[in-house]
Amino acid sequence: MVALFDRALTGWDDAALAASWRTAQPFPHIVVDDFRATADLVDLLEAEPVDQYQADIYIFDASAPDPTTTELRTIRDAFASALAPHLRRITNKPHLARADMRAFAYRPGHYLLPHADHQDGLDRQLAFAYYLPSPSPPSGGELELFRVTPDATLSARLIEPLPHRLVIFDVSDVSLHQVREVLSGLRLSLAGWFYP
Amino acid sequence: MTITIGARTAVIVPDAVPPSPPAAHYTRYALLDRGSYDHAPFDDPELLTRLTTIARHAAGRPALTITDVRLVRLLRGDYLLAHHDSIHDDLPIEVIADLSPASVPGAEVHYRRRGQVFFRVPSTPGAVSIVERGPTVTCNHTYVSKLHPPGTEVVRLIALLREPA
Repeated sequence: MVALFDRALTGWDDAALAASWRTAQPFPHIVVDDFRATADLVDLLEAEPVDQYQADIYIFDASAPDPTTTELRTIRDAFASALAPHLRRITNKPHLARADMRAFAYRPGHYLLPHADHQDGLDRQLAFAYYLPSPSPPSGGELELFRVTPDATLSARLIEPLPHRLVIFDVSDVSLHQVREVLSGLRLSLAGWFYP
Repeated sequence: MTITIGARTAVIVPDAVPPSPPAAHYTRYALLDRGSYDHAPFDDPELLTRLTTIARHAAGRPALTITDVRLVRLLRGDYLLAHHDSIHDDLPIEVIADLSPASVPGAEVHYRRRGQVFFRVPSTPGAVSIVERGPTVTCNHTYVSKLHPPGTEVVRLIALLREPA
């Protein structure tokens, strides 16, 4: 289980990804496709309970902030330990170590409106979203990145939630992003943040 | 419906105004981490007088007069978040008249106290809500789903009323 993501990292070119990170617009991020675990993660997550969460900026189904099952804890720890060394080099954040992780299920009508993940005192360094295969692939549900200007928030990039796609992006006051409303199907993902 | 938890006045008066969106020159608000909507000035003396009368009666404050008024239109995908709202420490009365041409399920106004929703105003064309805005009360207009048909719109006339200084 510890090697859950090691094969996915075979062939990663950290220098090329670092260049991509630095030049990405509207803020630093990378998109890695075909990031496949050595086990069926959806199957492993079968027993993880999810509840509906709702506020003015979101509605979605998700696991609790801390994993309930050993399986999700194991996936989280394997993900963090496998990726952190690479991400330290790619993002030039030398103290990245641990990650938290929740499982998300966005159904039709679910969304997460534009926001930045930065919050004083939480020390979130990087955000990640890892899209899982869905029994009913979604329409909508794209991750949208925005460029912030004094007068407007401008759409700068749309990232489709394709299975086995990993997105990592910087956390700052200007890393504004949203999950567009899911219009049909089911959008499954694991998401969270890396910390020192 | 009148409640006393969260605000001394929180009332919805059904069938209080004609549910017809007025002609307006809207401006788009586009700072998306706060809101996404159209807004326009509004000046229909007859309707504003009617709203003032309703607010005075509901709040039991006969000297209330309108100090701020604007028209807000939400299309599919639009919203106003709670942290886009202003805090008021002088206890004004907020009146919202629903001028939408049709009811839009799920498109609600939520009044919150210390973050918790204490009063929900559903989409009901012709209805008027009257809520006292205490210093811990904020308001958000919920997201209008893109699953609604094209052409869906929510039109709300929002007025703040206070006693003259």
